[in-house]
Amino acid sequence: MRAAKKRDTWGSRLGVIMAVAGSAIGLGNFLRFPAKAASNGGGAFMIPYFISLFLLGIPLMWIEWTLGRFGGGFEHGTAPGIFHSIWQKNRFIKYFGIIGIFGPLVIFIYYTYIESWTLAYSFFSLAGKYGHLADQGAMQSFLRGFQGLEKNQYFNSLGPAYLFFLFTFILNIWVIYYGIKGGIEKVCKCAMPLLFIFAFVLLIRVITLGTPDITKPAWNIYNGFGFLWNPDFSALKSAKVWLEAAGQIFFTLSVGIGVILTYASYLSKGDDVVLSGLTAASTNEFAEVILGGSIIIPAAFIFFGPVDIQSIARSGVFNLGFVTMPLVLNKFPLAAVFGFLWFFLLFLAGVTSSVSLAQPAVAFLEDEFDISRKKAVIIFGAICFILCQAVIFFLKHGVVDELDFWGGTFFLVLFATIETILFAWVFGMENAWDEIHRGADMRVPGVYKFIIKYITPLFLFFILGMWFVQEWLPIIFMKNTALADRPFILATRAGLLLIFLILAILVKIAWRRKKLEAEKIR
Amino acid sequence: MKSGGWVFLAVSWGIILGLAALCFIKIFSRKELR
Repeated sequence: MRAAKKRDTWGSRLGVIMAVAGSAIGLGNFLRFPAKAASNGGGAFMIPYFISLFLLGIPLMWIEWTLGRFGGGFEHGTAPGIFHSIWQKNRFIKYFGIIGIFGPLVIFIYYTYIESWTLAYSFFSLAGKYGHLADQGAMQSFLRGFQGLEKNQYFNSLGPAYLFFLFTFILNIWVIYYGIKGGIEKVCKCAMPLLFIFAFVLLIRVITLGTPDITKPAWNIYNGFGFLWNPDFSALKSAKVWLEAAGQIFFTLSVGIGVILTYASYLSKGDDVVLSGLTAASTNEFAEVILGGSIIIPAAFIFFGPVDIQSIARSGVFNLGFVTMPLVLNKFPLAAVFGFLWFFLLFLAGVTSSVSLAQPAVAFLEDEFDISRKKAVIIFGAICFILCQAVIFFLKHGVVDELDFWGGTFFLVLFATIETILFAWVFGMENAWDEIHRGADMRVPGVYKFIIKYITPLFLFFILGMWFVQEWLPIIFMKNTALADRPFILATRAGLLLIFLILAILVKIAWRRKKLEAEKIR
Repeated sequence: MKSGGWVFLAVSWGIILGLAALCFIKIFSRKELR
């Protein structure tokens, strides 16, 4: 008979809130949100945004915190075990839970590499490596050289990028190695306040820019904010704008990944989830709307003007972060310092997210196979290190986009739909309501009983269906993929399928082991 | 910035600041905060 293993726990309530908020606050808060808002109706975008926050984001937050704490009571920290605890009679439900390990694992594979770019650019800012570049073409070329997509006067090998990747990867593994309390919580408690301080410094700098070029009086901070906030109510007639807002809420809160389930599983049975979940969500919203919305778009408007900003806002997250923003920062007095603050802010946001992405896979090995944490982290690190090589060396063939589609988009929405149905309909709304309020420091408004049971699942089915038809089908059938890249995309898909199948086999083995052990005890 | 922009900025910031303040005040008012 195996002795009951003591699971790791959080050291403090603030620690778990900072860790969940840190998981949610990422590049999307500072880059994706302002770009989406500016190009989808400005201030009017906030109407569908807040509706989605209250009908989709916050309910999903509460569902995941509650399910995670419930599963932790059965010593399960990942979705296969948590789903099985909810619906014990169904022998297949644990296999649906695999998505909650697969998704974060796949995101981790490419996220750490992108995170390492932010660290590299922090260093480049201080070293003045891009300070002399003055136009989009040169900055684009600098980025492509760094990524190893071309050899140019800035970089002639992938060496620097690989070095920063190694450092970032080892840092992540080192943090996870020291566990929930000793690693993740400690890092988040330091990184999150630092992130907010850096963001505030940048915000104050942007607000005090005023009208830097007196020959262009309209290129001022007020009009910069106006570009983001002036409402265009005609945008609300477009279904696309409503879907974009729902998508932004969905992706910004890190729901549907499986990370919150795992983090919440380290809570005690009587710990509050209502107030903690809401606090983590509101911290993320503060970072997104107030800080994220006040830095890049207003600053870019001031230096590029009302015409260029239109194309900048539509140029995509990476372009905004690694091409436009360095150019904007180059125009600041003390450009090196502000460049460092910007990229190190993104790096901190990245680290607190990536360590959370590693946790479900590590917890799965620990909880279901009784492997020690340190061994589990070494196994996880070795496998991920090998998988990361594909991302680094085949970047130009669209491997990152492919991983992001499956791990970071498709399965996320699917997983959120499954867990909402399980929570509201299988577990039952009465049980769910009692479970949410166990140890709660505040009551959830009664209307949420109706919202969680009917509105949130319908909302999820709606966006799942709309995205599937409008956006996902062309990606699945590789309609916009270059012929030369198709073998790489197909190989990536085969690799993902293999990972999924291995996880399914591991789940089967784990449950068989547990069954045999239970029979021995009898 | 148009007046409509100011209204949307103020309302959005107000909702988020209000929600965050409410949550943190409630959390820090708990005696058993570890």
